[in-house]
Amino acid sequence: MKKLILLFTMAMFIGFAGNETFAQKKENKVVCFKSNMDCADCEKTVTEYLKFEKGVKDLKIDHVSNTILVEYKDGKNSDEELAAAIEKKGYKADKITQKEYEEIVAKNKKEE
Amino acid sequence: MKKYILLLFILFPFLTKAQSVSGVVFSDEANGKQPLPGVNVVWEGTSEGTASMPDGSFTLKNKPGRNKLVFSFVGYESQTVRVSDNDPLEVVLQPNLELEEVTVIQKDRGTYLSVINPIQTENISGAELHKAACCNLAESFETNPSVDVSYSDAVTGAKQIKLLGLDGTYSQLQVENMPALRGLATTFGLTYIPGPWLESIQVSKGAASVLNGYESIAGQINAELKKPDSEEKLFLNVFGNDEGRYEFNGNTNIKVKGDTLTTGIFVHASDVSKENDHNHDGFLDSPLSSTFEVANRWKYNNHRGGMAQAGFTLLWNDRMGGQVGANSDMIPSEDNPYGVNIETNRVDAFFKSGIVSQDNHRALAILTNFARHETKSYYGLSRYDADETRFYGNLVYTQDLDIAAIHVLNSGASFIYDDFNEMLYNQDVQRTEKVPGIFTEYTFKPSDRLTLMAGIRADFHNIFGNFVTPRMHFRYQFADHYTIRTSAGKGYRTANVISENTFLLANSRPISWTEDAVQEEAWNFGFAFIQNYKLLDRDLSINAEFFRTEFQQKLVVDRETSSEFIYLLPSTEKAYANSLQFDVRWQPVKRLDMLLAYRVNDIKETIGGELKDAPLTSDYKGLVNFNYTTNLKKWMFDYTIQFNGGGRIPRVYEEWMNRADIAGDIFEFSPYTIMNAQVTKYFRYWNIYLGVENLTDFTQSNPIEGADDPFGENFSATNIWGPTMGRKIYLGLRFNLNYE
Repeated sequence: MKKLILLFTMAMFIGFAGNETFAQKKENKVVCFKSNMDCADCEKTVTEYLKFEKGVKDLKIDHVSNTILVEYKDGKNSDEELAAAIEKKGYKADKITQKEYEEIVAKNKKEE
Repeated sequence: MKKYILLLFILFPFLTKAQSVSGVVFSDEANGKQPLPGVNVVWEGTSEGTASMPDGSFTLKNKPGRNKLVFSFVGYESQTVRVSDNDPLEVVLQPNLELEEVTVIQKDRGTYLSVINPIQTENISGAELHKAACCNLAESFETNPSVDVSYSDAVTGAKQIKLLGLDGTYSQLQVENMPALRGLATTFGLTYIPGPWLESIQVSKGAASVLNGYESIAGQINAELKKPDSEEKLFLNVFGNDEGRYEFNGNTNIKVKGDTLTTGIFVHASDVSKENDHNHDGFLDSPLSSTFEVANRWKYNNHRGGMAQAGFTLLWNDRMGGQVGANSDMIPSEDNPYGVNIETNRVDAFFKSGIVSQDNHRALAILTNFARHETKSYYGLSRYDADETRFYGNLVYTQDLDIAAIHVLNSGASFIYDDFNEMLYNQDVQRTEKVPGIFTEYTFKPSDRLTLMAGIRADFHNIFGNFVTPRMHFRYQFADHYTIRTSAGKGYRTANVISENTFLLANSRPISWTEDAVQEEAWNFGFAFIQNYKLLDRDLSINAEFFRTEFQQKLVVDRETSSEFIYLLPSTEKAYANSLQFDVRWQPVKRLDMLLAYRVNDIKETIGGELKDAPLTSDYKGLVNFNYTTNLKKWMFDYTIQFNGGGRIPRVYEEWMNRADIAGDIFEFSPYTIMNAQVTKYFRYWNIYLGVENLTDFTQSNPIEGADDPFGENFSATNIWGPTMGRKIYLGLRFNLNYE
């Protein structure tokens, strides 16, 4: 019986996890930028501004590696509009691929 | 290398002609300052800059329109430095202990226990203040495990706090590190500071630093107000609840001259004009009141070590409690309804200034404040009028005894002037306190792990004579996960016998006193053990602490010896307070903060020759708080539950032992539970919050005894141990615009 419950719970978890990744892929879009924030306050400004842009679901912003990752609901916003929002706050928004983004972040981590 | 730096300094005047900035970057290491190479130096908001040379030096061309340099280096705290004139810069970067931190929008910690501060201190940040929407300093402690808030009586609406289970008067109340809201403001002072004006609150337990005076006995509560040079441009807040309380708060910061001279203007207005009597005893559950407050403060900062701040606050407060139908225009008489009316006008002003020497090793600060307080009131047929004029001045000189600042000495002198005029039962009471004092405090900090602080002060009181206040603090982080703190210290305070106990006038028995001012004296000892771990990758902090306060002299309120009077008498007989507290903070789920706390109070004093539990004080308190924010903090949910223990109700035994007309236990009250909840939705420039206080609608039964005959001999509105107000639903809106 115990095993059964364990198995059941595990199945549930896998189910949930699977669901989540599935959902993410279907609805959410990810866009990455290279920027020039340089300071912690600048990072905060961009974060506070971007999080209330339409459809934004998640953000990873770092002023040390100068990278911005935005996850947003497809159709609610676009890469160009998000770039414009960053530029409106006075920072660069050079679109990069997610692979490039991950490379920069990984490289930065190594340096530390 | 030294030569090079020297050369740089000599060459400097020439370099400046070339319109550039230069300087040297150091790191602050355990063995002193070391030149730090490879530091990123950029103009703020740009990517233009340079990196420091192997000897820590750098030179950078001026950039029009930019005057701040940002210094950053992996493993060190970034620092922003303002460039003025063409002086060479010396920048010292502090090592950043949390190396792994690549900030990804961290959850703002609401309340946290400091491990660095040698004094056991809880910091309540702006984020925590958002958890409970309401409304002033007194109500900011709802989610705090250390401070209890209760009503002092059932008619005036005065709130009192307790720290370590001891009345709020034993905690030194400060506004921006200056003693404030003392004397006549003791009763309602906590309600004089509107919550939206607050930036943060620090609650420290046990002996405090001698720099701030001799007064703290149980601890210290410091309120920091919003600063005029902060990024906030405009803040507006409106609030209303279903009991008819409405509030407006607003403040704006103006940059008069860049970030050198700034000013902040604050406004607060609140009104309760709806009469509520939910328990139908003929008395208002809370008083009608109107308050208006304005404040203006200025800050000057030359960004080269010189700073000055000044400001003032004006307050008008009118409250009317008592029987339904009582109003402030009526003449107090037995033919009219029973009323309690308190009118207060108050002005507060402050000035403080400081200079830091070029090498950062010496500093001089002066802190002064002034208050004038006038109050006119009546409680039933008893009139009480009073005024107070108060001045406080403190001069502190800080000196590092060595370059690495391992040994630091703070010394100085203070002066208190406090003039009282009171009138009660047609009896005049006049008193002027003048207290000059001197102090010195030595701090030994050989590393980030250990701090030892020992201070002593001597004060020369014109009424109570000379006295000495020694205090000691020790903090040691003896392993990565463990920190201990101990403290011991003496505290003194002047108990203003009448003004601190005016709420007792809502009672048929008159108060009786022998001296209008009593000096209270106590020792406080404390020990705390803090553990910090990572559990499932999230911070877990476990805190255990014990504090004992032992009174040598105390003002004892005796409501249980005589059926004719309430006695307020100084006593040197045994009185103590033990407080044992545990709390655990953790995030069981991502972005869900959990706080579990439990405290046992053992507070005793000698009343009528017998050592008894302090009246109207719960013998324990439990608190559970959950705070959940959605990703990116667009929604915030809060839920707090407080478990309050039972306690003793002070009564004259002989008179009450045979009373059969009152149901329930008349000498004891039972444990009770209070719940609060709140939801906040954030938008880019504003947020809206909806909440409920006292969700289960629990109220103390029979808060006003003898309510049917308020001028008769059984009337008493002062045996209050629980809430007198039931469930309250509130809604509020905050609007917020920042400078960039």
